[in-house]
Amino acid sequence: MSRIVIPGEVLVEKPLRTENAMIEDNKTFSTVLGIFNDEKGILTPLEGLWYPRRGDIVLGIIEEARLNSYNVELSSPFKGIIIAKFVETRLQRGDVVEAEVKELDESKTVVLMRPRKLFGGKVFDVKPSKIPRIIGKASTMLQQIRDGTKSSVTVGMNGRIWVKGGNVELAIKAIHKISEEAHTSGLTERVKELLESPRQGV
Amino acid sequence: MGSSTNKPELIVNGKRLDGRGFADLRPMKIIAGGLKNAAGSAYMEWGNNKVLAAVYGPKEALPKHTQDPDKAVIKCKYSMAPFSSLEEHNRSGPNRRAIEISKVTREVFEKVILREDFPGSEIDIFIEVLQSDGGTRAAGITTAAVALATSGIPMTDLPYAISVGKVGDTLILDLNKAEDNYSDADMPIAIGPRNNDILLLQMDGSLTKEQISEGLTMAKKAGESVARLQREALKAPYERILEKYKI
Repeated sequence: MSRIVIPGEVLVEKPLRTENAMIEDNKTFSTVLGIFNDEKGILTPLEGLWYPRRGDIVLGIIEEARLNSYNVELSSPFKGIIIAKFVETRLQRGDVVEAEVKELDESKTVVLMRPRKLFGGKVFDVKPSKIPRIIGKASTMLQQIRDGTKSSVTVGMNGRIWVKGGNVELAIKAIHKISEEAHTSGLTERVKELLESPRQGV
Repeated sequence: MGSSTNKPELIVNGKRLDGRGFADLRPMKIIAGGLKNAAGSAYMEWGNNKVLAAVYGPKEALPKHTQDPDKAVIKCKYSMAPFSSLEEHNRSGPNRRAIEISKVTREVFEKVILREDFPGSEIDIFIEVLQSDGGTRAAGITTAAVALATSGIPMTDLPYAISVGKVGDTLILDLNKAEDNYSDADMPIAIGPRNNDILLLQMDGSLTKEQISEGLTMAKKAGESVARLQREALKAPYERILEKYKI
């Protein structure tokens, strides 16, 4: 059974190691507004910030091109950096790049690797807490959007999404629908309906 | 405070001016979210008070000298709109009172936000009083807590605040403007409902030791309904969608 919990609410009356929770007096408390699954012991935040992790794919915008590094804006409290020697072509301020998180260094700067420049397209932000739902289990949801709209869609864990080609409007509409209804079940079918409904704008 | 010579009768036939009992709160309503450009927001109506709170961040703390390399800094701004009260508020810029309330509000949230997760960043809390009728700092803290929760900033608790006052020898809860101006004491309290931690305690006028502890008990008891309202407000937008699809 899942239930909505608020910060400071008791999850279980015993210590439980789970994300976004804290343990005090042998009890586990939530620190976020989220959905707690009692059986699995998993707390999924409904609203939340992205916390960088090794291997996360993110979308950033180059903020400053320096001699041997690039400062990247990641729409999060953490600043990103790309070491210039790992970049094949010179990047410019304003370029959109997809990159992988290499590490979070001691000054809480996100060191990025394997950058790939994205040309054209549309970039927009959603809540980072909704990204896992937009991707779906084994990226089924994302594949469904790609198939339904014939767009190329790249999703960054930091909550930034890039869409190009195909029916961009419909793709964005579908993504916003998922982000709004992320906590409900049977969403895949409803998105399918939206994608298959009388061709909007095509 | 009770300095005025033409002090009105605040308690008539065992009832307060607006017909409430001594421990009754004014009717309240909280709406979570609403401001699209803010990371989190909330709106609250508490009696005749109308308060809007917005949260931005965490983001890089600027100017840079305000940064703390170990934890996030919190910046709080409480302000009353020029049209919010009966008295003149020529400009809504910070005055002595607003600076004080901003400081105490900031200190409430410094205790509940897990600041160590975001070193070097800042979290901005804005509290705007649109209409005031006594007890706006309590309403501001209660609203800002909901706004923070909707922004997803990790917190150990969801605080609320409530004011306790004294008329003659009677303790009353949730003072309105007239009671605030003419009562013998006013004590705003912010409470973290998880362990009933006291996060803020200010006092104007005088209360005895026994009256303070009695006032705290009253505030905690009445505060349960405020905490419940905050919880319902946070859950409402999600439950609406669940209901829409009857899941």
